[in-house]
Amino acid sequence: MSQGRTLTFNIFRYDPQVPDDKPKMVKYQLEEAPGMTVFIALNMLREQQDPSLQFDFVCRAGICGSCAMVINGYPTLACRTLTSKYPKGEITLMPLPGFELIGDLSVNTGKFMRELAERLKLWLHPRNDEVDIHRIEAPMDPEEAAKLYELERCVECGVCVSACATKQMRDTFVGAVGMMKIARFELDSRDARSVEDFYHVIGNQDGVFGCMTLLGCQDNCPKDLPHMQQIAYLRRKMATALV
Amino acid sequence: MSLAKKNNNVSGWLDMSQSVSGVILALFLWTHLVLVSSILLGADAMTFVARTMELSFLSADGHGYPWVVSGIAIIVALLALIHVLVAVHKMPLNLQQQRALRQQMSVIHHDDTKLWVWQAITGVGIFLLLPVHLWLIGSAPETIGPIGSADRIWNQGVWMVYLPLLLCVELHAAIGIYRVAIKWGAKRAIDARARIRKIKTIVSVVFVVIGLASLLAFLPYAS
Amino acid sequence: MKLIYTDSLVVGAGLAGLRVAIASKERGLDTLVLSLIPAKRSHSAAAQGGMQASLGNTVKGMGDDEDVHFQDTVKGSDWGCDQEVARMFAHCAPKAVRELANWGVPWTRVTKGPRQVVVNAEKVTIEEAEEAHGLINARDFGGTKKWRTCYTADGTGHSLLYAVDNKAISLDIPVHERVEALALIHDGKRCHGVVARCLITGELRAYVAKSTTIATGGYGRIYEVSTNAIICEGIGQALALETGVATLGNMEAVQFHPTAIVPVGILTTEGCRGDGGLLRDKDGHRFMPDYEPEKKELASRDVVSRRMTEHMRKGKGVDSPYGPHLWLDITLLGRKHVETNLREVKEICENFLGIDPAEDWIPVRPTQHYSMGGIRTDAKGQSPQLKGLFSVGEAACWDMHGFNRLGGNSLAETVVGGMIIGKYVADFCEENTLEIDTALAERFVAQVRDEIDSLVEGQGSESAYELKREMQRIMMDYVGIFRNGPELTKAVEELEALLIRSRNLGLKCKKRHANPELVEALRVKRMIKVALTVACGAEARTESRGAHAREDYPQRNDKEWLNRTLSSWPSADATRPQLDYEALDVMKMELPPGYRGYGINNAIAHPDTEKREKQIVEILSNLGEEADRHERQHALMPFEVPESLREKNERLHDKPLGNSQQLGEESK
Repeated sequence: MSQGRTLTFNIFRYDPQVPDDKPKMVKYQLEEAPGMTVFIALNMLREQQDPSLQFDFVCRAGICGSCAMVINGYPTLACRTLTSKYPKGEITLMPLPGFELIGDLSVNTGKFMRELAERLKLWLHPRNDEVDIHRIEAPMDPEEAAKLYELERCVECGVCVSACATKQMRDTFVGAVGMMKIARFELDSRDARSVEDFYHVIGNQDGVFGCMTLLGCQDNCPKDLPHMQQIAYLRRKMATALV
Repeated sequence: MSLAKKNNNVSGWLDMSQSVSGVILALFLWTHLVLVSSILLGADAMTFVARTMELSFLSADGHGYPWVVSGIAIIVALLALIHVLVAVHKMPLNLQQQRALRQQMSVIHHDDTKLWVWQAITGVGIFLLLPVHLWLIGSAPETIGPIGSADRIWNQGVWMVYLPLLLCVELHAAIGIYRVAIKWGAKRAIDARARIRKIKTIVSVVFVVIGLASLLAFLPYAS
Repeated sequence: MKLIYTDSLVVGAGLAGLRVAIASKERGLDTLVLSLIPAKRSHSAAAQGGMQASLGNTVKGMGDDEDVHFQDTVKGSDWGCDQEVARMFAHCAPKAVRELANWGVPWTRVTKGPRQVVVNAEKVTIEEAEEAHGLINARDFGGTKKWRTCYTADGTGHSLLYAVDNKAISLDIPVHERVEALALIHDGKRCHGVVARCLITGELRAYVAKSTTIATGGYGRIYEVSTNAIICEGIGQALALETGVATLGNMEAVQFHPTAIVPVGILTTEGCRGDGGLLRDKDGHRFMPDYEPEKKELASRDVVSRRMTEHMRKGKGVDSPYGPHLWLDITLLGRKHVETNLREVKEICENFLGIDPAEDWIPVRPTQHYSMGGIRTDAKGQSPQLKGLFSVGEAACWDMHGFNRLGGNSLAETVVGGMIIGKYVADFCEENTLEIDTALAERFVAQVRDEIDSLVEGQGSESAYELKREMQRIMMDYVGIFRNGPELTKAVEELEALLIRSRNLGLKCKKRHANPELVEALRVKRMIKVALTVACGAEARTESRGAHAREDYPQRNDKEWLNRTLSSWPSADATRPQLDYEALDVMKMELPPGYRGYGINNAIAHPDTEKREKQIVEILSNLGEEADRHERQHALMPFEVPESLREKNERLHDKPLGNSQQLGEESK
């Protein structure tokens, strides 16, 4: 174990609310402890060296998706990134590109995701609005339920959005997170929307036909979701609807 | 069920036509290069191929119809034009987009995105060089053959076009086919992504080597 | 001063808060939610295992109903809960599950035919009924008679939170994210809203509302190591406490989960043991059957946690640089099961421990996990002292958990409590008018502004981070799984000293907008008060009940302590809470205090217990033969739920079926 070595952090610092502030990289040093994660390290830096350092953590267990940032060039969840992964002991931290910057490593993914959900109507549109909750529920194919859960594991961390060059270039592009969710509702037998309804939302340049298959989403997703497969599925589905 | 009219949305067609035109062009390209590489087997072999392409076996005098080659050149040009027109939509066209792309790529390392940047660069290269090639061939199809081609390539200095074009086109086509496979592919293609990627690199290298060898093989015929 | 008006204000955008917001919005009320973070990041998402509801679809849940769920819950609470509330809860839980299915939750479903499961370390084949195919499945959890915990793989909380937040988005309910409530606006009788600070801009806003619902979760982070998210700092409880009027109930009732990983304290779900996982000591010995021969690993959480601690005290723990731990063994479930049904567990093991749980044992130790205590409410979710103040979920002491909560009952409380209390909140909003007293709101805003001014501009020298660490250490060392008088006294004294020090906090970072140090300082003062209610409550309660285990008073003492602790904060300059007690009336209980089924039965009985037992026999015998279970229940302890939730729950085994064979059977 690399116990006791000194880690060097290069951290992006910028407070957009301070009028004269300019983006810069600031260097910090810290003694590594066994089992140290970027979560632990950042909190130590804040408590001991710079109390103004901004970053977001909530569950610190890789479940909530709050803490995505770019670590040595790869966007991922900071809370479950062990510092021992970096043999040189140099760790560069940048905020996720493509989101509104709140300050330093903190970006407003929440606002982005809510707007996306409203725009794409990312909720179940049940076939039957009035169900009798006192009666036995409608059965569902157990396989289907399992498949839905697989697609539902997205934690909206924003990694796929930041890793997608297409999204960075075209603001209106839906991105993998939106398409994954559409794929999830498309698969759901309880959802009343037809292929045509989904076509309206993603059968265009901002949706599946704007995706250039650069695969930043697939290669960086911390939950290993099958982006590539689902987007290809939607694309084929939308294309067959066309011809 | 036809939705295109209802949605008045052509982007689906555009996206598909980009893939389809790309695949046809890539297949043509590789066939073309195999045919040209007949020079490696000697002048007679190439002459035979060139005449056959002009459909000499259909004409009474055995000279064939050189305009067939011109026709092929025009079709290729049209396909390439479609491909360019569609693809150009996806390129970073304004400064803001270019800046966003550069910014993102400076922060995040991602190989497939880099691959796409190469594809875009080689695409621009092809856009500039291919018309020259097509014009030279299409306007004088009868000169295709060991002597005529060698004269064009080495004496008139067209190798300066062909060499970069060869490199651009072989990279562009292989990357493009790789991308089409995972873009439309079902689960199986996607599971085999790493393998397809490797094959793509091999195809690029093999065809560049064949192309280079062929270019060199013309050298003895240039007098 | 920025004033924002609404009908129904909800603080906290986890499952409970969102569910109340939805109930308000569905009644056409103007609804607004405040949250520290984006709603989908709430700690509800971390609930892995599932939620209890007596659907009885799986063969191992056959015969389950509200009665069994109620009894399990009351026993689990060590008779500390409010039985009427437990009844309301058990009655509505199946409704909530079925409602959620229509909001998009992909509940794991029953597959007909034979299926292999692990029960008591043995592979057993159970046969699911044809009729149950595709209905909502359930798994086994600790302290329950039946397999009752409905789940989606091991991401139940995540699925529920996403479905409920999506529903809220579809109803266009605004969530003001990155906003922290810092004070309740009240006049001593009625709550009128909150003063909140925007964590980005630092702006102070007065949110004025007819009803204010606090759904901010628990206070686990007053402990150094906790399975809770780092935002579960008890600020909601502090808001109520600082009014000086509203009370907190049973704050000393703090649950320790048996299986959090060492050292970081991240939870591995109870589903691990429910699905057949075992606990082992340093010799690889499965020790739980030695202590609890009947329930073994699936005894109630408080019991398993104490047995584990006991066993480690005997020197049977595995030594590590972070102190002793034990092993959780799920290797016997097989790789496929681990990778599909326990995949979050697998990810956590890989990322934080670097092990493969299908191959290796997981290092675990009991760790702070849940706050049974919280803002005291009546059965309708309203504070008895402060009209218009509601609370729901872990933040509240609605009191269905008493002194120990069953696994799967917390996730259930969020949506079931939210469903029930949401309707009462809406009723309240319809029956009451918005009272706008801008002078009152201004007074509370000024108070918070002064507090911030003195932190930013003052000459204080204490560090918020240091005080927090101190408080967390005190709670870990002296207010843990096993407690005793001298240590608790020490805890109270040291926390008091900390509280006094916290009046002299100073900041290094002087920004008024996004300033993490300021946030920490504002919170730590409040957290210490909450910690004091826990320590004082624990010190005063000289008995052992549920999760509150006193080494010096090992018996459950119904005679003197069958009551609920109520803490309030007497005045701004006080250093200790005031404790009062609210008796639990045995004569109204459906299930009078009895033996819980663990260890020796040493409870000191309440004088009314015997009387009530006789009365129950009498009431039931007067009912006659034809009375069904609902009528019998009603005769013993009538309870109220909102009208739309009154109907009986239909179950598979209520339906006439050809023969009992069709209901499936169990075979070895």
